[in-house]
Amino acid sequence: MTQETTFAPSTVEEVRAAVADTRASHPRLLVTGAETASGWGAPAAPADAVIDTTSLTGVLKYAPSDLTIAVRAGTPFTTVQETLAEGGQRVALDPARAWRGATIGGLLATADAGPLRTAFGSLRDLVIGTTVVLGDGTVARSGGHVIKNVAGYDLAKLFHGSLGTLGVVAEVVLRLHPLPLAVRTVAVEADAGEAFDLAGKVVMTGLEASALEWSGGRLLVKLEGTPEGVEQRERELCRLGGTTARVLAVEEAAAAWAGVAASADGVRGTTVVRIGTMPVAGPALVTRMVAAGASVASSMAIGVHTVQFNGGDHDELLAQLHQEFGAAVTVLRRDGLSAGRGWGPPPAPVRVMRAIKRQFDPAGRFGAGRFSPWLEDEERAS
Amino acid sequence: MPQGLHAEFVEAVGADAVVSDPVALRSYECDGLTGFRVVPSLVLVPRTAEAVAAAVRVCAKHDVPFVARGAGSGLSGGALPVADGVVISLQRLRSVVEIDVVNRRAIVEPGVTNVDISRAAAPYGLYFAPDPSSQQVCTIGGNVAENSGGAHCLKYGFTVHHIHSAEVVLPDGTTTVLGGDSPQLGGYDLLGAFIGSEGTLGIATRITVKLLAKPAAVKTLVADFPSVEQAGDTVSAVIEAGIVPAAVEMMDALAIEAVEAAVDAGYSRDAAAALVVELDGPQAEVDAQFAQVKQLCEEFGATKLRIPASAEERALVWKGRKAAFAAVGRISPNYFVQDGVVPRTQLATALTRISELAAGAGLRVANVFHAGDGNLHPLVLYSEAAGEHERAEALSRAIAELCVDLGGSLSGEHGIGTDKACSMPRQFSEDDLATMARLRHAYDPSGICNPGKLLPTPRLCGERPGVYKPHPLESAGLIERM
Ligand SMILES: Cc1cc2nc3c(=O)[nH]c(=O)nc-3n(C[C@H](O)[C@H](O)[C@H](O)COP(=O)(O)OP(=O)(O)OC[C@H]3O[C@@H](n4cnc5c(N)ncnc54)[C@H](O)[C@@H]3O)c2cc1C
Ligand SMILES: Cc1cc2nc3c(=O)[nH]c(=O)nc-3n(C[C@H](O)[C@H](O)[C@H](O)COP(=O)(O)OP(=O)(O)OC[C@H]3O[C@@H](n4cnc5c(N)ncnc54)[C@H](O)[C@@H]3O)c2cc1C
Repeated sequence: MTQETTFAPSTVEEVRAAVADTRASHPRLLVTGAETASGWGAPAAPADAVIDTTSLTGVLKYAPSDLTIAVRAGTPFTTVQETLAEGGQRVALDPARAWRGATIGGLLATADAGPLRTAFGSLRDLVIGTTVVLGDGTVARSGGHVIKNVAGYDLAKLFHGSLGTLGVVAEVVLRLHPLPLAVRTVAVEADAGEAFDLAGKVVMTGLEASALEWSGGRLLVKLEGTPEGVEQRERELCRLGGTTARVLAVEEAAAAWAGVAASADGVRGTTVVRIGTMPVAGPALVTRMVAAGASVASSMAIGVHTVQFNGGDHDELLAQLHQEFGAAVTVLRRDGLSAGRGWGPPPAPVRVMRAIKRQFDPAGRFGAGRFSPWLEDEERAS
Repeated sequence: MPQGLHAEFVEAVGADAVVSDPVALRSYECDGLTGFRVVPSLVLVPRTAEAVAAAVRVCAKHDVPFVARGAGSGLSGGALPVADGVVISLQRLRSVVEIDVVNRRAIVEPGVTNVDISRAAAPYGLYFAPDPSSQQVCTIGGNVAENSGGAHCLKYGFTVHHIHSAEVVLPDGTTTVLGGDSPQLGGYDLLGAFIGSEGTLGIATRITVKLLAKPAAVKTLVADFPSVEQAGDTVSAVIEAGIVPAAVEMMDALAIEAVEAAVDAGYSRDAAAALVVELDGPQAEVDAQFAQVKQLCEEFGATKLRIPASAEERALVWKGRKAAFAAVGRISPNYFVQDGVVPRTQLATALTRISELAAGAGLRVANVFHAGDGNLHPLVLYSEAAGEHERAEALSRAIAELCVDLGGSLSGEHGIGTDKACSMPRQFSEDDLATMARLRHAYDPSGICNPGKLLPTPRLCGERPGVYKPHPLESAGLIERM
């Protein structure tokens, strides 16, 4: 990247000023957080300046009894979790890149989530308010500080997955959950098909597993709750899982989940994609990817698969995935891809996406290239 | 309505789906908020999604405003017709298309009632979690439009957490699908923004909902308290203990009186407040936490704990709670249902201030609400005949705005609709509202889709809206707003 100017605002007002005062001097802006997701989507086009949100940090208000916290968007996710742990609470999210310093705003903008997505969803399901800054300097708030709220449109959802193309997310209010008193992981050896069947059974038995992740030839089941509840879950799961079901020791469990995170995170030279399918289509997809030499972490019960390809040129694999799974393939890391398009065929409502982009960022200031060619096609067409 | 236009609608949806008889039209003049009434020019009752799209295309071609309507049970005037426009009723799109057991979801048409989804899923051990009290009548299309909640939303979340995708007819008459097969999608969360948009961004014609497995165990208790404050403190203590109940509902004395007058559900008439707490999950966990909840109730001064011994008895407790709104009709000729939210720790303050406001207005207010998430439903009782309407309306609005002042929201589940559009500037700045208008404009540039709802408009409130319309030169990239 060749940006000469970086703005590092530390308050909403400073974000507003940085955006509003640069309309003529620096028309095109790139919003960055901790740069843990630089490969997500299509490569960003060169910009005139970077709005670096890593100084936009700090907890604005933590209300433990109301189960809410308001933070500036550049706050590292791990910082938020540390603050909350003191109050016996958490944001029920476990994205792989958290340990590298990912920010709350960046996680919202990338629609990221980890294995807990099976029970709690992504930030989309946990965010209850946002403040955003648009390209003309408009500061807009939506939602609020209460977990139940239907006043007005939910703009936070709109910014979920926006990859910095609509504006800067400056503040975020989140709903919290209590930290579980007990956590245990049970591993069951299973191929993808068996894992899918077992995951279905676990869900139907009402065990309320908080994660059901297939990775490296086994289904990892995270059980959380009261000590009594977790013990009962563990017993029933071992019965359902059969002879290979095993309760993991603390260090073993940590290593197992670190392995899941590693295959979603990727290392230099790898390509990582996340694919959404109907859950039932998961086993076939995953089996094929494994046969092609990929490592896979799959949230089997809900049909979200994170696939890492190691070494070589992955353009053809990506093209195949796009062809078969359409728009629901997101590139998370692109080291094995040649520069160029990151996205497959546009999703059905791409016209709506474009109309929203035009309304929110009519001057096209933010995140050029990120959704290429989905948003750009429109410019050519009109 | 001009004759030519009438003919075009007939062509779009079929003659038997066009209602123009003045008497029949009147049955669509309002929703559950009966204070606002407007007779529409025409009502369309299409049988298929294609016909809905054809009808909207006619509207788009002639700039005719349209309003989607489910069961008309909305409480914020969301389905209030526009006088020179049409109402598109989804009541004939009522089939459960598919129960997909393996993927635990159901594909349904928008006019299917909330409870019918769970009924269709029950043989497979599945159900649809959001459970508004109106679930016997309200439609899934209405639930999506309002992002409806219910007693069990504290643990399970709201409608937005339980929808995979929706086929939507956009205001230009084209059809698209928002959302997808899994939560992993590329691009903006358009489905999330659509849910709760109160019928202003398009009409949902087919909806794929998430189904959940029935919980392994359920336990319920009703605890009587000598004051609403003590009941409120108990709720806080339960949450602070790290317990997330499936439901925590509160009723005050007046609400209990109404419920008992109507249903005879066994609530104690002499309690100042009653809490209904329900826990669900694996048996051992429910047992352990239930013991903890009982203990907390006692610590905070509960005078009586009633634990339903059978599924029937539990159903009766819920029947009472869910009948509360309707039951109020037994103790007052008229009432308004308010729907504000406060941070849960402000519950006691909110209730005290509400009773002061009520005393000041010389009216009674009954409270029955979702205590776990601070969603109040004060019922303002009044008599139309005694000329109390205006006072009651003012009191109701004052209560909603009080919720905002206490750090909460104008609405937790019933929506802004026509009712509270003029209060929106209390909660949001001009820039906030103008930004929301940009979203609306992206979907509906000509403003024909449920106009006058959600955002304040000059017609309603006598102020200029901040609708954002870029200048053509701006769109062309030749000028910018400085
Ligand atoms: C010095 C420098 C070097 C770079 N080198 C590379 C490189 O080698 N390869 C490469 O592919 N890219 C590179 N980039 C691009 C850069 O890493 C990404 O464009 C951007 O930083 C991605 O966000 P993130 O990694 O900070 O992660 P995150 O903070 O996780 O952000 C990910 C996405 O979210 C958006 N975003 C983050 N925070 C917000 C917010 N508060 N509001 C709205 N949107 C937000 C971003 O625009 C981005 O699209 C470089 C950038 C800089 C400044
Ligand atoms: C006694 C009573 C109790 C209630 N309890 C609750 C409760 O506990 N929780 C709760 O959340 N609500 C409750 N409500 C309010 C109401 O039932 C809900 O808002 C419900 O979702 C409305 O559904 P409906 O089908 O009646 O919609 P309608 O009233 O017909 O319409 C509501 C809005 O949805 C739009 N709409 C309808 N169908 C569609 C569609 N297919 N596509 C797009 N837009 C559409 C309409 O334009 C309108 O803006 C209660 C109402 C009553 C009368």
